[in-house]
Amino acid sequence: MNPAIIDLLYRLADDGLIIGHRNSEWTGLGPILEEDIAFSSVAQDKMGHALAIYNLLHELGEPAPDQLAFFRDAAEFRNCSLVALECFSETDAASTPSLRNNPTRDRLVSHGDWSLALVRQFFFSEADSVRFNALANSTFEPLAILVRKFRGEIKYHTLHGRTMMRRLPAATLEGRSRIQKAVDTLWPHALGLFEPTRYDKQLSDAGICPGESVLCEQWRSEVEPILRETGVHIPTTAAPVYGGRAGKHLTEMVSLLSDMQKVARMDPDAKW
Amino acid sequence: MTQTPEQVWEVFHQSARGEPHVHVGSVHATDADTAVLMAKEQFARRLACVNIWVVPSDAITETPYEDADMFEHGTDKSYREAFGYETTKRAKAVGDAAEL
Repeated sequence: MNPAIIDLLYRLADDGLIIGHRNSEWTGLGPILEEDIAFSSVAQDKMGHALAIYNLLHELGEPAPDQLAFFRDAAEFRNCSLVALECFSETDAASTPSLRNNPTRDRLVSHGDWSLALVRQFFFSEADSVRFNALANSTFEPLAILVRKFRGEIKYHTLHGRTMMRRLPAATLEGRSRIQKAVDTLWPHALGLFEPTRYDKQLSDAGICPGESVLCEQWRSEVEPILRETGVHIPTTAAPVYGGRAGKHLTEMVSLLSDMQKVARMDPDAKW
Repeated sequence: MTQTPEQVWEVFHQSARGEPHVHVGSVHATDADTAVLMAKEQFARRLACVNIWVVPSDAITETPYEDADMFEHGTDKSYREAFGYETTKRAKAVGDAAEL
């Protein structure tokens, strides 16, 4: 099978799995019950998209979905850095009082920053929307058919992100300052969603997927007016964080996988 | 810049076009758009749904429970009830069979 298509599918599925995992860490910790449930649903949606794309990869000769999710090391993942980032503010990240037996949850309880999770989801959903809209007309028919099924869910994800982003910065000074801080922290990673790959030209020439730079421009034209509308400053000098698409990840990706894969790796032969 | 207070919104759910909107519960939200956003995940993630209404609870006028006696019938009004009709009986029989 065409290695360019395989690489594209891994990037899509790995992004979905990892942001789904990160967002699911907030289940039970959301700011209010309703938003907790809504945000957890979005996480489930992304896990579902990832599973569907892993299944497609499996049909193309790659290992089974569980194998791909639980038995690959960080260097084999093709997700961008944005999705793997931990939602702790920089100053608080060092101390980890242990409350229960899940260190990630403990740190979210004591130091978690909801604004980071929310702004990340907004940036990511807008990218999903741009990317999947393009892929709905992909010449690689199995992928086009699949992503058309995701449309309704992605529509809700962008509605969620836009509604929150239009209100929180305008609500209170604290809201504005926290959203601004999250945008400043995440922007370089958000640009990294569109890290160029060596397959870009091939995929775009074949009508399978537009080049990453094209998608990035479309994403900016959607996201930037929404930020400006609520008076959020866009960091213009930030350089994109690249590396994830080539399997070069930050240390957070390693700790995320050790959490996420722990149980499956304890007994690889267990039947679920 | 002022923080909008959260209020309660009553949620009405429609399972198919043409069906009535049915009250299914309530959500907390600062405004109508956010209420719709929350209602969708609270009440339409399992049930089939094509449309949702949200209405501020404040907009609802209710009867006091101490006046519940005004709904009672002082004399026999069973002639108003529809259960005597043959069609109603047949519809009920079909409904009961469908539930089994």
